Amino acid sequence: METKKIQIVICTGTLCHVLGGAELPSLEQHLPDHLKNQVEIKGSPCINHCKNTDMRPPFVEINGEVIEQASITRIREHLEKLTANDSK
Amino acid sequence: MRKMFIDSDSGYMPKNGQIVCGDVFLSEKMKNENRLTAVLSDGLGSGIKANILANMTATMALNFTINDQPVERSAISIRETLPVDPVRKIAFASFTIVDTEFDGQTRIIEYGNPQFLVFRKNKPLELERSFLVDGEVDISDFQACREDRIVLFSDGVSQSGIGRKDMPFGWETKAMTDFISNKITRDPNISAHQLHKCILQQASMNDIQKPKDDITCAVLYFRNPRKLLVCTGPPYDKTNDLNVARKIKNFEGHTVVCGGTTAQIVAREWKEEVVVDMEHFSKDIPPISHIHGVDLVTEGILTLGKAAELLKYGTYEQAEATDPSRLLVDQLLTHDYIEFMVGTKINEAHQDPNLPVELEIRRNVVKKIAYILEKEYLKETELKFI
Repeated sequence: METKKIQIVICTGTLCHVLGGAELPSLEQHLPDHLKNQVEIKGSPCINHCKNTDMRPPFVEINGEVIEQASITRIREHLEKLTANDSK
Repeated sequence: MRKMFIDSDSGYMPKNGQIVCGDVFLSEKMKNENRLTAVLSDGLGSGIKANILANMTATMALNFTINDQPVERSAISIRETLPVDPVRKIAFASFTIVDTEFDGQTRIIEYGNPQFLVFRKNKPLELERSFLVDGEVDISDFQACREDRIVLFSDGVSQSGIGRKDMPFGWETKAMTDFISNKITRDPNISAHQLHKCILQQASMNDIQKPKDDITCAVLYFRNPRKLLVCTGPPYDKTNDLNVARKIKNFEGHTVVCGGTTAQIVAREWKEEVVVDMEHFSKDIPPISHIHGVDLVTEGILTLGKAAELLKYGTYEQAEATDPSRLLVDQLLTHDYIEFMVGTKINEAHQDPNLPVELEIRRNVVKKIAYILEKEYLKETELKFI
């Protein structure tokens, strides 16, 4: 059965970039194959969470849910969790 | 009348076997006087001696003209200063001086060089000449219009190919005129850089790639300035968002948007979408984006900061061709007149003292870029803060 792809939006804004998000645009290369074809990766010039001082950049949105202090490992863990729930 | 821009470029090839060229082309733009002066000088013979003679002549001619000596008088002074070859009884260096104002009023003084050519669009222009001092110094005055080109060259160009069966007297003015007319007809917007390259190549080809004399050619092209608008930063007052978007839409020329938030404002006002280019990315700068109708969309302060560095040290050619700051520099350098529209709204999130120092104030970085463009790259810039 064709499942809906997981939508990932990576913030490429200035602040996210300098606070550790520089490697995020290369996310797709770092995902294992079984995750790669279940996601759709997009960029955004800024997803505007940096105005909120309670949250820590860099930001990534996965299916609309905001991930703070995102790193490739964190995104991967999150995706594994999501796909594991789906397969149950 | 709108001001014209003079696109000028020149190049040379030394005589086969020589390392330096015996012809010299110098030019100087005096911005506050709206005036451009250029000199092409050809020293007798070739090699170092000719180069020194030509350099002396060209520098004298340029400085006399810049210091507002009447052109006639400087021409005579130079002629009297230059020694005459005792054997051949001809002067040691010949010269052509072009003195032109940005409204097109042009005066050309010639001494000993082959006659310059003027093209109005693709047609050669016949000019009246008057003579000074026993008929050896020619003066022509004319009013240059948009799309006029002045072509100066040394006798190495007009005599290239001399002695060949198909051109016993060399390339000659008639054939050269046809060649240049053809080039302009084929590409009406051909730049000074491209045109002088074509002429040099053809001249060198006439001599079967072994120039028999120093070959030098310079082109002055009167044209509309190529304009670029760089928008960066959100306006201080939100009500100006629409004005920024409108300004970009109606701009006659190319447009660049630097800044994520600025890009989003433009896209929102135009009801377009910002698409981030995830194909090319570099470690030090966020990727570029695309908005339909804008020529280049980049991130703001980091890209501007790096572009300023590249311009300052002239190292932009070493940067990768897909590097966003290189793309920005390419845009800046291919235009003549650059307008910066800088939104002065401060991004609160950038003011945290723990952040890297690269996050400078936008205004300062843009000012720095504008200064370098004016000083080092002879561009005209305008800064507007909103």
